[in-house]
Amino acid sequence: MTTFEITEKDAKKMNNKIIQLWRFIMLNLKILKAVDHSKRS
Amino acid sequence: MTNVVVIGSGFAGQTAALYLGAALGKKHNITVINKYDIFGYTPSWVWVGVGQMEPEKTIFKLKPVYDKFHINFVQGTAQSIYVDDQYVLVDSADGGGETKIPYDYLIIATGAKLNFSGTPGLGPHDGYTTSICSLPHAMDSRDRLFEAMARMEKGEKQKIVVGAGHPGATCQGAAFEYLTNIHKVLEKKGLRDKAELLWLSNEPQLGDFGVRGLRVRKGDRMLTSEEFIRAVFELYGIKWQVQTGVRKVEPGKIYWENYDGAEGETEFDFAMLIPQFLGPGFTYYDKEGNDVTGQMANKGGFVLVDAIYGLDWDTLADTPEAWPAVYQNRKYKNIFAAGIAFAPPGSISRPFVNPNGLSITAAPPRTGMISGIIGRIVALNVIDLVKRGRMTHAERMTEMFAACIASMGDSLWDGSAATIVIYPVVPDPRTYPNEEGRDLFVTDMEMGLAGAWMKRMIHTTFMHKLQGRIGWQYIPE
Repeated sequence: MTTFEITEKDAKKMNNKIIQLWRFIMLNLKILKAVDHSKRS
Repeated sequence: MTNVVVIGSGFAGQTAALYLGAALGKKHNITVINKYDIFGYTPSWVWVGVGQMEPEKTIFKLKPVYDKFHINFVQGTAQSIYVDDQYVLVDSADGGGETKIPYDYLIIATGAKLNFSGTPGLGPHDGYTTSICSLPHAMDSRDRLFEAMARMEKGEKQKIVVGAGHPGATCQGAAFEYLTNIHKVLEKKGLRDKAELLWLSNEPQLGDFGVRGLRVRKGDRMLTSEEFIRAVFELYGIKWQVQTGVRKVEPGKIYWENYDGAEGETEFDFAMLIPQFLGPGFTYYDKEGNDVTGQMANKGGFVLVDAIYGLDWDTLADTPEAWPAVYQNRKYKNIFAAGIAFAPPGSISRPFVNPNGLSITAAPPRTGMISGIIGRIVALNVIDLVKRGRMTHAERMTEMFAACIASMGDSLWDGSAATIVIYPVVPDPRTYPNEEGRDLFVTDMEMGLAGAWMKRMIHTTFMHKLQGRIGWQYIPE
């Protein structure tokens, strides 16, 4: 029995273009934060 | 004039070559030795393997790039390295026999040697499974998958098994992505109900991926990669079997052992299993002609560098400085190893030996971004050594980030991908004194269309960067 499942609501969010644009920006910000550290080494 | 030689032009070698060419190419001799005259963008071979991308879109010719950067290119296979006399013996691809390539600094960035013979019956040549670890392998996988799909169209049920083909295999992320892409392709063609999909892996639990898994904050709770991948598999109707080491493959049958020591077999119609990765396997000679390979590489052929080797796993997990910082051989300080070629000090995931004495342990991943970052660090240090006589760059895998984007279809409109961002790759409990040993802002995993955009963006930007096109150095590895 799983404690986490992907619901229909989640599935809709996964293809909602506005939400996904926000997530795309956030993912890039996260990578940039890590890259910033990496480039300074 | 300094001679710098790079062996290999994958992610690590190509990244190193570009930095070296840009900084030293005009005044010094930079030489790249590679078996093939093309670069292959490995992450997109997953799409080639399901027929979603043309093979030509994943490759480019090396020579025009090297000409632009004043880099010499030798197409051939490096055989042995004379560490005192400082030259590499290369078997030229043009049939011209063996050539000596002298070096002052040597970067070994060969990538992995695919050890299909480590598992009898594994692989596309002498075995019964396929692989996506090289472009010809990915094309062979695609063709065999299409044959399986043709059988499904005739009404036959097919069992598809994807995962790790050796108890010590790595690169589970790529195999996972291949499986989810197969699911998507079958769904699109209306054949999903004709296939049983199975994930077969040496990981200690689902979502481990050879990096000890991860936990991320989702709202008011912590979500583990095990829960996340389990939810994805449940959503897609994919079965799984972890804690399993594949021992042997026969036509239509995979033989394995699990953590309990139990032996079993799994039938298949189509199987893509990642082989064990080995190091380059060069022979090293000193000035007297003695074979000193044992001092230069570990048993797997991986090059020994500035790591602390021989620690037990629990000590290693608490010792971030055991991971190499500059990827330099301790004895021959003009020899570096980048990407998969360097010998890691141990596994990131907890190792396991079953009651029969079989080690079932996911090896640490060092592909893609990790390889590119190490290639840059090593190149910048060689540039430092040539120009200033001292190194100023260092980055351990306990300080390195990686993104694993497992696509599920390639459409930019209705595709999806599981995006996993890990920072650092190897948990560092000292810098991040939480249970995970990782930065909880950066470390993340999610699924959605944004991941499909990320995957496509990374393909496009990396192909641009690795061809040394305008602005290449501003694109992160």
